[in-house]
Amino acid sequence: MNFKKQFKEGLLTKNPVTVQLLGMCSTLAITTSLFNGLGMGAAVTIILICSNVLISALRKVIPSQIRIAAYITIIAGFVTVVDLFLQAFIPDLAESLGVFIPLIVVNCIVLGRAEAFASKNGVLASAVDGLCQGIGYTVALTIVCVIRELLGSGTFGGGLLNGGEGIRLIPAEYPAMQMVMPVGGFLVLGFVIAGSQWLMQHLEKKNKKKEAAK
Amino acid sequence: MEAILGIIIAALLSQNFILVKFYGICPFMGVSKKIDTALGMGMAVTFVMALASAACWVVNEFLLVPLNLGYMQTVAFILVIASIVQVVEMFLKKAVPALYKALGVFLPLITTNCAVLGVVLVNVQEGYNFLISVINGAAGGLGFTLAIVLFASIRARVDKANPPECFQGFPIALITAGLLALAFMGFSGLSIF
Amino acid sequence: MANQTSRKKESTVKYVLRLTFTLLLITSVVAAALAAVNAVTEPIIKQLNEQKTQQAIETVLPGGYSETIENFDDQNGLVTKVYKGANGYAMEVRPAGFDGEIVMMVGVDFEGKVLGISVVSHTETAGLGAVAAAKTEAGNAFRGQFTGKSGEILVNKDGGDIDAITGATITSRAVCVGVSAAVACAVSLG
Repeated sequence: MNFKKQFKEGLLTKNPVTVQLLGMCSTLAITTSLFNGLGMGAAVTIILICSNVLISALRKVIPSQIRIAAYITIIAGFVTVVDLFLQAFIPDLAESLGVFIPLIVVNCIVLGRAEAFASKNGVLASAVDGLCQGIGYTVALTIVCVIRELLGSGTFGGGLLNGGEGIRLIPAEYPAMQMVMPVGGFLVLGFVIAGSQWLMQHLEKKNKKKEAAK
Repeated sequence: MEAILGIIIAALLSQNFILVKFYGICPFMGVSKKIDTALGMGMAVTFVMALASAACWVVNEFLLVPLNLGYMQTVAFILVIASIVQVVEMFLKKAVPALYKALGVFLPLITTNCAVLGVVLVNVQEGYNFLISVINGAAGGLGFTLAIVLFASIRARVDKANPPECFQGFPIALITAGLLALAFMGFSGLSIF
Repeated sequence: MANQTSRKKESTVKYVLRLTFTLLLITSVVAAALAAVNAVTEPIIKQLNEQKTQQAIETVLPGGYSETIENFDDQNGLVTKVYKGANGYAMEVRPAGFDGEIVMMVGVDFEGKVLGISVVSHTETAGLGAVAAAKTEAGNAFRGQFTGKSGEILVNKDGGDIDAITGATITSRAVCVGVSAAVACAVSLG
């Protein structure tokens, strides 16, 4: 078991959003406040862990011809459970994320990890993979959320802090509200991915220099 | 009639599935490198979306609602969509090999296209009747086609440009999509009839 | 790999049956699990929704309501429920917002003046249209403008005197349309 490696992969080098480019729909659509980002991240992480564990446990029982159908059914089951629980216990979040909760079913991250990892690895490793990928997704989502919320609404922690209003950092008349519109989603995600690519290129160069020095 | 026109215009322009509502971003980014493949994907998605809207409306109205199984919606719909995609693929392969050759590679990808599941869920949420659901599905698919073809044609040029190293590939494509979305924002006033 | 070797041993019919059976089994287990979860959550969700409606009525109609009116005249087709109390009506209206419909409760007194409005549920853009529903200063200020208004209510861009939410003219307009419909309906009820 290599928890540290899996964690680093999930967070940076194989981050589901910035590197694998999975789950774009939700990343762009709901990242307008910190509350949304953390909520969506948590929901996806829980579903990822559960479906990874179950699919990994059943990997020898499910015939390969019908595996995709079986995976989708299992994932849809977990998604519905999370959806119902959110509606019952965190209705504000359920309302704010709306149709994007049931749409986690077709979020390629969950199916992608089921196919690429859980169907080939043991239960524990799959659980860890679900957790790491989920955290990577949440972190990327949160970064996009914070930037969009700051530029678009001028606040931090909307829906969560300061009685739902968020902490105002930019006076109400200045923010560019386009940033919380679709345009902002594309632009901010573009810059965030560029940033992570730059970071990785930078790290790579550093490593090469180190090796050369040796 | 006015309502139908309103829905078509909303699905095509002011509430465009990709650029305003963010359904189906994965294929939008993945299959938009060439104009003709983008068009093929668009047509396949339109076809499946209309068909799925019809089938899921029937399933919902005659199976889920009478049996009080509203909570099974997501599971039932995704299974219906997956089967439709499978059946369409087999049918095209046998009956219209030429069309299969053109669309075949895109079909398996459509199951996980959230535009399809999205439109079906929205149809049920808004309580659309059978006709309106199918129209909404087809128009949504055409909106998808419009966006992806436009994007592919812009991207063909952007790919020849020379952005900073860290912007190469996906980031610059996203920023291009952002500018396209900005243009589509201009249609937003059309949503009120 | 194991599947491929077993496929050679089994006849095709048996194999297909096995596939069908496995898929059926998975689907039924999922369905059973969902039924169990739904049994737990359904009453809670129902209660929450009822509570929301009750709260909305209490906010917009001081003194609450004593009866629901089934027969009402609504030319716009937006009013879905009417509650009558000692001080006026609480009307549930569903105008089309920027993205999907907005479910609102509007309180109107017997003279056709707005007592207050409250948004029950919506799917507007967070930070923009969603302000109309938010329990924040900006949200309260926007909704407060409607109190005391009568007749047809418009945003100031359309010649009325309601200040639209910044960047969310369509949502603001939708709210005005909903409130106007409620007022018109209340006037017709007397």
